[in-house]
Amino acid sequence: MSKGTFLLVIVVAFSFIFFTISCKKSVKILPILGERDTKNIVIDGKSKIDTIYHTIPNFTFIDQNADTVTNQAYKDKKIYVADFFFTSCPTICPKMKTQMSRLYRHFVDNELVAFLSHTIDPRHDTVPVLKEFAKNLGVSGNQWRFVTGEKEKIYEVALKGYMATAKEDSTADGGFIHSGAFILVDKNQRVRGIYDGTISEEVDELMEDIDLLLLEKK
Amino acid sequence: MRGISLLFVSIIIFSACQSAQEIKKMQYFVEGLELYKTHCANCHQLDGAGLAGLYPPISKEYMSNNKLKVICLIRNGGNDTLIINNKSYNQAMPANLNLEPIELAEITTYIYNKWGDETVITEIDEVKNALEKCKQ
Repeated sequence: MSKGTFLLVIVVAFSFIFFTISCKKSVKILPILGERDTKNIVIDGKSKIDTIYHTIPNFTFIDQNADTVTNQAYKDKKIYVADFFFTSCPTICPKMKTQMSRLYRHFVDNELVAFLSHTIDPRHDTVPVLKEFAKNLGVSGNQWRFVTGEKEKIYEVALKGYMATAKEDSTADGGFIHSGAFILVDKNQRVRGIYDGTISEEVDELMEDIDLLLLEKK
Repeated sequence: MRGISLLFVSIIIFSACQSAQEIKKMQYFVEGLELYKTHCANCHQLDGAGLAGLYPPISKEYMSNNKLKVICLIRNGGNDTLIINNKSYNQAMPANLNLEPIELAEITTYIYNKWGDETVITEIDEVKNALEKCKQ
């Protein structure tokens, strides 16, 4: 082996190692979900096309402590995970609440992460019922809020905002059908991930994605 | 010689009986585990620990004092507040009206052998008997 080939082998080997390491370090970027629109904006006298991303529409709900919750609680301040459930749900909610509890305990006291569970049965799930439910789950404070409100508004924000299904159906167990989705929302109120909240592995992935999202610049 | 072979034969029959009973118990236990995963574990969790103050653990103490009620609860659900290990739970338990006595017997065998203090099968007749009593 000549000196030249030896050097070449060394260079190839090092670049291979370098690329493997740098590839591993490349950070996964979470997608921005939902429909997009464009608009023309003018910057420094030049016309440009800007992308308008899907965001969570305005909402006003009441939480377990009887406090009002709007987008302003989260916008520019926190990322949050949303879901839809009802306290007397016999089917998938217990699984969802088991998983959400796991997330909550993992991120408890992290001021940049919040949880927002919407009841889809506001007739039964009044503020005192939600308060009792939160207490029994071992939740205090307002990092994890359980909200109620006008039924139509809740169903609408589920569908139009979080792209989740929630509606009444007398043929379903418990009287409602809803998806078991956990929806990850960033500080700009954009949906960055949808996970099956009944599957432990998917919630593990969500946990990692929350960490990623926390590192993201605004 | 005849005496010895008779003894030998009875030992074989006896041990075969034993193992048939053992096999049945294993079947009940395994079937019970699958049914538990489907119908119970969502709330009571795979390890039987329950979920915080919402869903109670599968408690040995409660089970040994309330077997009839446990069987009825699994099938018919309940709205009563239960005191389990000195804690009260008031979340309603949903009914499982589709469960047949054999399935209830398997679930009961599973939970009583796994977390209770029983080492025997809950027989189908015991389940039927319990269901009759909780109707009254």
